[in-house]
Amino acid sequence: MTAAGVHSQAPRATHASAVRPGPAWLWLPWLYLVSRRAPAALALLAGCGALLWAALHWHWYVAGGPAAQMLFPLVTEAGAATVITATTYGPFGEPERATGRWLPYLRLGAAVTLTAAAIGALAVGSTGGELYGGFAAMARNVAGMTGVGLLCAVVLGGMLAWAGPIAYWVLAEGALANRLTTPWVWPARPPLDRGAAICAYLVFAAGLVLITVRGAHESVRDTAT
Amino acid sequence: MTAATDAPVRRPLAPAGGGVPLTAARLLRLELRHNTMPWLLPLIAALFWFDTYRPSTATPPYWVLRTFWNMGQGHTIIDFAPFVAGVAAWVGSRDGRRGTADLVTAAARPRWAVQLAAWAATAIWAVGGYLAFVGALFALYAHQGVRGQPPWWWVAVGAAAVLAFSAAGFAVGALYPSRFAAPLAAFGAMLAMLMSSQTGFTHTSGWAQILPTNSNGNFQADSGMLYPWLPDLPIVRTMFLAGIAVAALGLLGLPAAAGGPRLRLAAAVTVLAGLAAAGTAAGLAGTARLGPHGLVIPALHDAANDRPIAYTPDCAGGGFRVCLNPDYGSELAHVTAALAPVVREVAGLPGAPVRATQVAAKYSAGEGQGGQAMTISGHPPVLGMPLGALGIPGAFGWTDGETAGQLQLLLVHAFVGAGNGVGTPAQQAAQAALLQGAGLPFASQPNLLGSVGLPSWAPATGGPGPTTPVPATGPIYAAARRLAAMPAGPRHAWLAAHLAALRAGHVTLAQLP
Repeated sequence: MTAAGVHSQAPRATHASAVRPGPAWLWLPWLYLVSRRAPAALALLAGCGALLWAALHWHWYVAGGPAAQMLFPLVTEAGAATVITATTYGPFGEPERATGRWLPYLRLGAAVTLTAAAIGALAVGSTGGELYGGFAAMARNVAGMTGVGLLCAVVLGGMLAWAGPIAYWVLAEGALANRLTTPWVWPARPPLDRGAAICAYLVFAAGLVLITVRGAHESVRDTAT
Repeated sequence: MTAATDAPVRRPLAPAGGGVPLTAARLLRLELRHNTMPWLLPLIAALFWFDTYRPSTATPPYWVLRTFWNMGQGHTIIDFAPFVAGVAAWVGSRDGRRGTADLVTAAARPRWAVQLAAWAATAIWAVGGYLAFVGALFALYAHQGVRGQPPWWWVAVGAAAVLAFSAAGFAVGALYPSRFAAPLAAFGAMLAMLMSSQTGFTHTSGWAQILPTNSNGNFQADSGMLYPWLPDLPIVRTMFLAGIAVAALGLLGLPAAAGGPRLRLAAAVTVLAGLAAAGTAAGLAGTARLGPHGLVIPALHDAANDRPIAYTPDCAGGGFRVCLNPDYGSELAHVTAALAPVVREVAGLPGAPVRATQVAAKYSAGEGQGGQAMTISGHPPVLGMPLGALGIPGAFGWTDGETAGQLQLLLVHAFVGAGNGVGTPAQQAAQAALLQGAGLPFASQPNLLGSVGLPSWAPATGGPGPTTPVPATGPIYAAARRLAAMPAGPRHAWLAAHLAALRAGHVTLAQLP
């Protein structure tokens, strides 16, 4: 065992103060976002966008019809949702909940901002080629799967919430292959399908409300980095 | 407290003697009790039911068809891989997330050994879950009376894939102990499976055969019924996946904190051994060639596996006997009834078959498993009839009537001597006239020829598909209509006199009566 680092300031705290934004009212959101590793999440979301761009540009399609062409975009959309859900975990636990009266707004703001960033990154990525379903389907799918992830975060905790979007991807992949058309499996419906959009955005709204009010379920056995 | 990768080299501990296995067993038991994998098994079970079991029930009750979707195309692996990789990454990143790396490094066991215990617990739950779910799936199939032999080798490939994803995910978590490790590992597994399927669909040979969800040539139409499942490809895939698992686990022992110099040297050797196994397996897959019963890898192939499975056929029919493999026994009445009108139409003509016997269906990369032509050979002539996935109602959503039409077409095509090609215009016209005589009207023949699952000569002479009606017009159908319009006696006499020339390709359309 080594004592190195015990008396030194936490490296991320130093980093945070070094890049402190100007207006004071931005300080709290910035600290919140840093504590949730939002900068790393943004980098990963950009990576998802880059991956989508490469897939569309070099035609990494699964052989088959339109349903098969949905699969790769769907993977990147699910990946973006898992990244967002991983940011729901808070490392401070009870002290933060007891003292942070702005916490619900910060949770809401972070989730909305990161979802918007994910949609933006994938929209940029979609310029690599023709995105099956277009922007509307992509935004619907990202919002819906993020909603699934947020609901999982409330139930399972932020550290296991990634299982939600991944499970939904497997479900959607099976539904696409077997031509199921329930609106609850929204990727299997046309881009402008009203029922699918209602279901997806309903799930997203439910996820946002619950994550705002309750936050991610926390386990005393775990701490995150 | 420092992160796992920054921890100093620890002094190697003296061997603990006989207490080591007991300590390791206790450690493993602790890890098994506190592992996260069991919590996700119900979710995987639900997905397994939806994505693996449910679609397979739409296929006819043959092991080769029931398991093509879930084993051949790897959906059992797709259902497990992302979750196993994610959970393994989560477990692997535990010490780093909790900041207990130094604590573990200073413990009585080398860090690598502790990590291996945590991985082993995850792998035991994951592989155990996989085997339990597949076992339940197979038990359900057996209860439903699914015929043939189960594809046991492909179960082993799936278990090896689960093992490999658990090791790779664990390595990701251990080397990148972050909250994003688990989602990244799960996403990576998802991406790997998708790319494997994508590459698999487009690569019918070469190195890509090593990919776990490449379905080209691995499930033959009669595997486990007329000939055994070939183990060549499953063996190299298992070897490849096991090699990846070993290499990933070896990586964990390379950092300075993992243990003493000897342990790290052993880890380096482990990595090299794993990479060598995976590379060798990929190389062997590159040598695979498509044989009549599946992909053959010369270095691994056992000639004993080429022997067909012996069976006593089930036969039916009075004058014209139809004999099938007993696994196809339930199709006997359907096949006999389907062939009967054509048999009546050609009865008494030279080369008309006196009985039909099932022959093994062969997969070809060009034709797929649907392109199975019939043959007529021997004295007296016998119809060699491959069924496989073809001719089975429900195999591709076909009805009894559609499969009966396909069987009739294939018999007439063989009878007029068109072989594996489209045939001469005169042969095509005679084929159309005989089918009309057997009860298949001209108007429906282009769509029959365009239906999915027939040899490639069929769509070449028919329409683009069953959903696009194409009129039966043109010089061939005009000649066919002339022939079919003749009274039965003269037509029969003309065919008896000219069949040899027709089969040899010496008859033109103009020479048809």
